[in-house]
Amino acid sequence: MRNSGAMLILTFIAILTLQAAGVSPPGKPRLTSCRSPEKETFTCWWEPGGDGGLPTTYALYYHLENSETVYECPDYRTAGENSCFFNKNDTSLWVNYNITVVASNALGKNISDPVEVDVVYIVQPNTPEHVTAVVVHDEQGPFVRVSWEKPRTADTRSGWITLLYQLRVKQEKDKEWEEYNAGMQKYYNVFSLHPDKEYMVQVRCKPDHGFWSEWTQTTYVKMPDYITRERSLWIMITIFFVFIVVILTWTLNVKRNSVKLCLLPAVPGPKIKGFDKQLLKSGKSEEVFNTLVIQGFPPTTDYDNLLVEYLEVYDNEEQELVQDGKDLSEDCMKSKSPSDIDSGRGSCDSHTLLLEKCMDGREGSGSNQHQYSQHGETRWASTESSESQDPEPGSPESANGRGKTWPVVFPSPQPQPHHHYPVGAAKPAYHSVPEILNHLSPHAMSSNYHQLNHQDILQQERRFSKPACRHSQSYNQFNLDGIDTPAPGVAPSPSLEYVEVQRVNPENMLLLRPLSDPNREPEGSDCTREDYSKVKEVTSNNILLLQRDMSHQCVDDYSQADQCTTQQPPHPCKPAVHQSNSGMPQEAIRVMGNGYVDSTVFNAILPST
Amino acid sequence: FGLSLPAVAVLLVALLCLDPHCRVGSAPICAHGPSGCHIPSLADLFDRVIQHSARMHSLSNDLHSEFEQYFLPSKNHIGKIYRKCHTSNILTPNGKDNAQKLAREELTEVILKLLMAWRDPLFQLHQSMAHQQDFNSFSSNKALEMGDMAHELRKGVEKVAEKMRVLGMLGNSVTGLSAAEAMLPLSDSGEAMSDYELLYCFRRDSNKVQNYLKILKCRIVPEHDC
Repeated sequence: MRNSGAMLILTFIAILTLQAAGVSPPGKPRLTSCRSPEKETFTCWWEPGGDGGLPTTYALYYHLENSETVYECPDYRTAGENSCFFNKNDTSLWVNYNITVVASNALGKNISDPVEVDVVYIVQPNTPEHVTAVVVHDEQGPFVRVSWEKPRTADTRSGWITLLYQLRVKQEKDKEWEEYNAGMQKYYNVFSLHPDKEYMVQVRCKPDHGFWSEWTQTTYVKMPDYITRERSLWIMITIFFVFIVVILTWTLNVKRNSVKLCLLPAVPGPKIKGFDKQLLKSGKSEEVFNTLVIQGFPPTTDYDNLLVEYLEVYDNEEQELVQDGKDLSEDCMKSKSPSDIDSGRGSCDSHTLLLEKCMDGREGSGSNQHQYSQHGETRWASTESSESQDPEPGSPESANGRGKTWPVVFPSPQPQPHHHYPVGAAKPAYHSVPEILNHLSPHAMSSNYHQLNHQDILQQERRFSKPACRHSQSYNQFNLDGIDTPAPGVAPSPSLEYVEVQRVNPENMLLLRPLSDPNREPEGSDCTREDYSKVKEVTSNNILLLQRDMSHQCVDDYSQADQCTTQQPPHPCKPAVHQSNSGMPQEAIRVMGNGYVDSTVFNAILPST
Repeated sequence: FGLSLPAVAVLLVALLCLDPHCRVGSAPICAHGPSGCHIPSLADLFDRVIQHSARMHSLSNDLHSEFEQYFLPSKNHIGKIYRKCHTSNILTPNGKDNAQKLAREELTEVILKLLMAWRDPLFQLHQSMAHQQDFNSFSSNKALEMGDMAHELRKGVEKVAEKMRVLGMLGNSVTGLSAAEAMLPLSDSGEAMSDYELLYCFRRDSNKVQNYLKILKCRIVPEHDC
């Protein structure tokens, strides 16, 4: 008893001292892997867990599935350190091996975790052998043929094991390998390798169910320096095309003139008579365009001062229009040009156009009428304006020698569709007149527009005299208010005629002459063509409301305003009508005895200043 | 007459068919021998059979690893209890030497036995996998295909054996398989095997079949791939 106790104590002390010295039982070993190279034998390797400072021995034990018999490893040496090699006799396929490793030293032992192994699934063949890579020269170009042999240990001939091969190629400088699967064959042709480069080749294999072998040692192969057929073809094509391009360029160069003619056909230059291209280029456009001005256009008559006057005054409501039955074009109705510039007008705006054409609508509704009148066949013969706006209406003196036309006065604010004039006041024959009167004086109109007529005439009591019959014949169409004008349907029998103001003499007289009268006989005794207007009444605004007389006959009697100073002998048929500047309507006009007034320009119809 | 062309054609055909001498029978496709059509050689038959077996084995491998991955996360093999596969009583060579020692007929018979033994269990496996919701349809389809392939493979091997017998390569010692009963997959304890065990066992057996076929082929027709 004492001895065992003493022994125990001693052992304990010994262990403690030993442990203090750094020795311990071995650490737990671990089976790292088991591999079979040919599915006939296999090897298992383990790693020791630490020997604990003492010499440790390892033993591998195994037992087959469903069997309790434990066997120890038959061969510890063949496969090297810490391994166990199972030879053919000890290897059974399709059977699970339960393998453990036991490490033992003087102090104890340690058992590893068991590992189940079925040999069929741990096959990893050896590397392929005798890898060769040769350059084969083909008509397509050289390529590399890699060939190898199966690993010696693998028995593929009996069909026991089936190997699949794989190879990889790269240049020395490349990072990535190019891999190719060769299947079960033992050679492979590698194409598309660059000329004059050295390549590295490696091969490996694997059974149909198993692990890949290691890569073989690198085999080097150098591609010869050659030009691929494809590249040489491209070179030839390029040279050919360059040649063609050169030839084309040369041809184009030689024929460049005709090519230029073909590609860029000549643009015909401007062929305007009198248009000087050089002048245009030099930049002086005024000179250029001056040349375009045709002298003598519009065709002028042999009158020095050509004043064209048109007076077309319409009453928007009544049809007391002295007009003839000529057809009035519809379209004239429609064209309206509110501008006060005598340009760009429609046919109705033309100052040479007979009013008849524009009278169509008049026969229609009243609205048409006003439209029409609004359209302003109210024209004022105007003197040509000076550029400046005279506060004083431009005096006729300014109009010398040049054909002047009165600016057409249109009411700039469109008059109301229906003119509502103060009761009692005679309806203006032309609706626009009152507006004109209203508007004209307050503002100076455009420079083109002269109010001279109105004021000067008023002041000076111009007398518009008509020269001999050959002279202008003024023509008014007034519809007097309150007069039962004939129905719109009445066709004015007498034709409308225009007068043109020939000139304005220094006494501010408008010399008119009829436009349509080709026979301008000096003595206008026969004035059948002249039209007279009968003054119906005078409005408060010094407006003469004339009534067109149907008769063409000249009336011998004529009245003349005493104020009128006639430069010329008053035309027997052309009593001048003027309007005094007085604000009194009664004095405004010297109506002729029989009520005829000579229609003239109605600049007289201006608000008295 | 006014009969249209289709009507005339129909009439003609009807007349022809009414003719008792005109009988349309089925003729064998390759009735005229080698010039008529291509009769597969033994090597071709072997190739087809081996391809079939390879496909079958890869299916079983996939199913087994799927099962192991999703349904048996624990890698603790200690607790695993392996039941014997129901085919373990079929003597099969467990090594190359043993396999090469077997005669062709025996080898062929072993193959056929194995395939026969798996006919019903595979059907059961597919049924149980299809019913369980754990498996996705892909897996159960694999199981179904696997079963079909086993069936096809068996038929193919039978044809190969027939061909070999015709060619005189096989003796008459190959007994008919009518005697080989389909064995129920029962373990020792009599319980039915689970799906995982079935898969485990079948994976192994399909590998055996593939291997044996290859050996057989390289022994009988060792032209290429051997």
